[in-house]
Amino acid sequence: MFGASLGSLSLKDLQQKQRPGPQDYPYRSWEDLYRQQWTWDKVAWGTHCVDCYPGNCPFRVYVKEGIVWREEQAGNFEVVEKGVPDMNPMGCQKGAGWSQLLYGKERILYPLKRAGERGEGKWKRVSWDEALTDIADAVLDSIQEVGPESVIHIGTPAQGGFMSGLLLSRLMLLLGGLNTDVQGEINDFSPGFYLTFGKFDPASSVDDWFHAELTFIWHKNPIYTSIPWYHFVAESRYNGGEVVSVAPDANPSTLHSDYFVPVRIGTDPALALAMCKVVIDEGIYNATFVKEQTDLPLLVREDDRHFLRARDVQDGGREDQFYFFDTKSQSIVEASRGYLGLDDIDPALEGTYEATLKDGSRVKVRPVFAILRETLEDYTPEKASEICGTNPDLIRTLARKVSQKRTSLFTGWNSGKYYHGDLMERSMCLLLALTGNWGKKGTGVRSWSTSMFDGFNIAYAKERTGREETQRILDMRNNIINVVRAQDPTMTEEMAASELGRMFDPQGGTVTPAFFWYFHAGYRENWNKREWHDPSMKRSFDDYMQEALEKGWWAGVSRPAEDTPPRVMFEVGGNYLRRTRGGQTMLLKHLWPKLKMFVQVDWRMNTTGLHSDIFLPAAQHYEKITFHIPTPHIRYLTLSDEAVPPAGESKPEWEIFVLLAKKIEERAKERGFTQYTDSQGFNHRLDNLYDRMTLDGEVAEPAALADEFVQDTAYAGTLPEDTTLDTLREKGHVRFIDWGLSAYGLGQASDFKLDETHNPFRWHTEKKTPYNTLTRRAQFYIDHDWFLEAGEELPVHKETPNQGGNYPFQLTSGHNRWSIHTMNITNRIIQQTHRGKPHMVMNPDDAAARGIVDDEEVRVFNDMNSFFVPVRLSPSVRPGQVIIYNGWEPYQFREWKDPAMVEPGMIKWLQLAGGYGHLRYWPIQWQPVPTDRAVRVDVAKVK
Amino acid sequence: MVISKEDLMKSERQAAMVFDLNKCIGCQTCSVACKVLWTREDGMDYQWWCTVNTQPGRGAPKDWEQMGGGYRDGVPNPGIIPTREECGGGWDFNYDEVFYGGKGRSVHLHPIGEAPTWGPNWDEDQGGGEYPNSFFFYLPRLCNHCTRPVCVEACPRNAMYKRNEDGVVLRDETRCRGYRFCLEACPYKKIYFNYAKKISQHCIFCFPRIEKGVAPACARQCPGRLVFVGFLDDVDGPIHKLVREWEVAIPLHPEYGTGPNVFYIPPLAPYRLNEDGSIDETTPRIPTEYLEKLFGPRVNKALDTLKAEMAKTKNGGKSDLMNMLIVYHWHELFGPFTKDPAELTWK
Repeated sequence: MFGASLGSLSLKDLQQKQRPGPQDYPYRSWEDLYRQQWTWDKVAWGTHCVDCYPGNCPFRVYVKEGIVWREEQAGNFEVVEKGVPDMNPMGCQKGAGWSQLLYGKERILYPLKRAGERGEGKWKRVSWDEALTDIADAVLDSIQEVGPESVIHIGTPAQGGFMSGLLLSRLMLLLGGLNTDVQGEINDFSPGFYLTFGKFDPASSVDDWFHAELTFIWHKNPIYTSIPWYHFVAESRYNGGEVVSVAPDANPSTLHSDYFVPVRIGTDPALALAMCKVVIDEGIYNATFVKEQTDLPLLVREDDRHFLRARDVQDGGREDQFYFFDTKSQSIVEASRGYLGLDDIDPALEGTYEATLKDGSRVKVRPVFAILRETLEDYTPEKASEICGTNPDLIRTLARKVSQKRTSLFTGWNSGKYYHGDLMERSMCLLLALTGNWGKKGTGVRSWSTSMFDGFNIAYAKERTGREETQRILDMRNNIINVVRAQDPTMTEEMAASELGRMFDPQGGTVTPAFFWYFHAGYRENWNKREWHDPSMKRSFDDYMQEALEKGWWAGVSRPAEDTPPRVMFEVGGNYLRRTRGGQTMLLKHLWPKLKMFVQVDWRMNTTGLHSDIFLPAAQHYEKITFHIPTPHIRYLTLSDEAVPPAGESKPEWEIFVLLAKKIEERAKERGFTQYTDSQGFNHRLDNLYDRMTLDGEVAEPAALADEFVQDTAYAGTLPEDTTLDTLREKGHVRFIDWGLSAYGLGQASDFKLDETHNPFRWHTEKKTPYNTLTRRAQFYIDHDWFLEAGEELPVHKETPNQGGNYPFQLTSGHNRWSIHTMNITNRIIQQTHRGKPHMVMNPDDAAARGIVDDEEVRVFNDMNSFFVPVRLSPSVRPGQVIIYNGWEPYQFREWKDPAMVEPGMIKWLQLAGGYGHLRYWPIQWQPVPTDRAVRVDVAKVK
Repeated sequence: MVISKEDLMKSERQAAMVFDLNKCIGCQTCSVACKVLWTREDGMDYQWWCTVNTQPGRGAPKDWEQMGGGYRDGVPNPGIIPTREECGGGWDFNYDEVFYGGKGRSVHLHPIGEAPTWGPNWDEDQGGGEYPNSFFFYLPRLCNHCTRPVCVEACPRNAMYKRNEDGVVLRDETRCRGYRFCLEACPYKKIYFNYAKKISQHCIFCFPRIEKGVAPACARQCPGRLVFVGFLDDVDGPIHKLVREWEVAIPLHPEYGTGPNVFYIPPLAPYRLNEDGSIDETTPRIPTEYLEKLFGPRVNKALDTLKAEMAKTKNGGKSDLMNMLIVYHWHELFGPFTKDPAELTWK
């Protein structure tokens, strides 16, 4: 029976037969089938420039017979700090299956023009020239009929890379069009961190988690969302650390923790404040840290609850000079604005004192800490337990641990998506403040940040290529920084750089989308529903909006004005109709009818693309040169190279935008319309658009532009000297060597050390440099009139309002495991790793009470809208909670109706506050952002 | 020529793996890495040589633990062959209809054909217990490349064998006729039938990679850094230390009798909560009986060792075991298989 195969016996078989030991199978030459499969022609560097954070996973892309065969993590990161695990092999299942999207059916290969109704799925393949001509004409019509502000580029993280949508904002700048603030769009904002620190974005390097002795996974589900670097948490545990999971549900990240701390949905402030109370009552707080780093020793007037300010006590006194009561000199002394070190002063944390005002009258003043003590009376572990449901003894146990251990709060951007997310985060920061838990390794809170790739920002100001021009830009930047600092010598470079952002970004056409939605997309009605807001909102939403606008708090960024209708909108690599809270309910109904044209630029079809008028096909990440957005989490510039040429007629985004600029110039000249002035008084010319876009054609090619970015970054000193696109190809990534020029980098406020993990805020704790807040300290007391009116001058607990109506379930969410937003959610291979369809997770008891079984499709509804979704039952879900992880394409749901459609996108009125120290707009920082967590819904059986 | 089953089932050395379940996050990178590398061709659509399932659960194929196979009292005990439905997966979707069909919202994306009722990871994150004391953990599974491979024993064509040099269990695909006795025999149900080629197929331990000194894709691509690879007899390697010295890595269902060479460090879990929400320090969240059912009685000693060593570092001390499990340098996972595949060239 074996005779047939003897003829194929190879030399290798014979050699193996001669080996000693047991007789081996004699016909092993068949094994070559698999050996041949594992071969390739070429290897290129790749990474996945999608809005995945921190991303920057270096991959190798294996090319075989002209197509991308597969990819695999490069795993070539060096050890950063001795005694800390390395970062290899950063990646996840999405990255490992990325090539399957390249040739998947979602891929768009030719320019498409709508041939039916929007969303009908009828398309006509058109030439690039026809598509660009149509777009150019629509843009010119809009500018002529309404003004350039009617042309809007939706700010998205745009494929998470620098060579994608971000480049369209250059064309918008030249046209006088608008770019909406990406943070306002996506709401990965941490308002409570911002209120506290004057910046929302502390971001340790991922390996710093290894140093934590106690990690709270809180408002985060890293087992789903931090796949490439969760291991540092697991490894910190083997290193002796403990892990605490705080969440309403026993979510997957509870798995590998020591303690699961269930909290009722939205009650995290009560838990955090109770721990604060324990720490204070038991006297185990870090008084030195509190006095030096926070505003808790600053004096507050008893009569009007405002801080005691210099303007109160002396003529011409500063608005932003505050006071301590010094126990050594037994007198009220100025709190230094330029240095946190206390030297000979010992500020009181307790007691009541008298201050003499400039008119000679006397007022009682108390340190914030003393007021805090009173506030915390409402949060004894027993009282807090009634709110949040956590056992009082467990609260005490945890509080004591926090006071003793290096504690890191592993937070995501979940809290910021709660209506009272600011209160949650302020309470969490307060716990860290009381226990001295930031500004040293293995401690702190976490959000996201970017910086370091300065060449990109420099390019925006350049008028020609080359380093001489770079130097001119750097000189200009430094001059402005110097002028700003000269006005107030106590300012740090970080503060001056943030002022620079405040000055220039609105001029560059960056606007806050909340106002756009309010004026143009129907949200005004939602936001004025009192019953969907917190009852402590004393006036109508419109009243606050009116006041904010009248006071000019949002001047320049509340555009386009109500009388300037949007006409042409561009989106590059995003999914506006899915991402926006309220989604299709609001946008298709209120915004779409106003638009003459919606242009989608992407390499794959998505729900927004299905509702576009023109779809321009972009090259995929393995088909062009691009870089992932760098972050302090990783501190590398990571290259994705052109492994194969763009498929079909697709083109790199930069090439598309350059062609569009050329076409607009051509069509403008034809209609003799080449100059105009925008509403801000800036002149725009169209007859040299191409030259200005491409710096006289020098950077028209994507590779030339990329190289310019890299070389300018090296010149600015954040990449090693002489780094170029070519040298970057040696390892596929290069380490940054400094934070660079932007306030986001400087805001990390720690020395950039190449052989240590990064933990932010060490300049504050070690060098005593002040924070970028009104009080120059980590600020827990916000005496803005609106905050006082709301009773939120200090963090307190408030219940999440009934957004969407009075219904029994609270719908929560979070990023899923299987996709990055909608990227990969329809990847055929990844779909087999779950049920291949959207689902809502529900507690079995809740389901049983409604006669619902696993995998049954149900109807979910509230006052906003309704949708259908199958349920997945899990006892890990808290009764009363339903979870739909986000990232599903609306077109995966029946009638394309998805969970975003039941989200009213409520904005907490206090986020409209401005005109107060750090409470002023600054791109990706302080601004109103819609929320979506714990929206009220009901669940009904369908059949 | 005559070759005995005994010859086919023997090997001089044994390559093995250890999965540290306390680092596994169920991300499926191992499964997808394997899928993209080996099982994309026609007839392999539904094959997932590596799967990660949530335990407790019915797994993949559905209810595989009830399908029999393995040895009973040293005698092969054939089970049943999982059906295509019990495996699930391999779905294709109506992309074109949604994008270009001109039907608008009347159609949404879904698998073509009958609605699936099971898949390679259908019961993901469901688990057991009751809130707030629910529990689950992830279990990656692939061919165990057993020491007594009952599949080899069962093959009527003698097409299956263990490789002498590394113990990898392979099937000569040019000889296999798709009789599927191996599918019956395998108690772990990690063999699939290729409907296009009419042959059976399973994990090949990435032998073309290990021959070149490169770790298998599931191990090298695991972002959780939890898959140790090496030879069992390499006394300096992590496999030997974890399996033979520390005895913290144990096989899945040892009672099946096949001598699996994939080992697991069993899962810990957070403290259970009492009725009043206080910490219950005595009752484990994951019931001991359940872990014993999966891993046999040795699971208790493994967990005790693990906890004792963790306590050492928690109290400021040192532990060699913890150092090994931390994996300070990624390559420490891979024994002799640390080569970067991108450095290889062909021809």
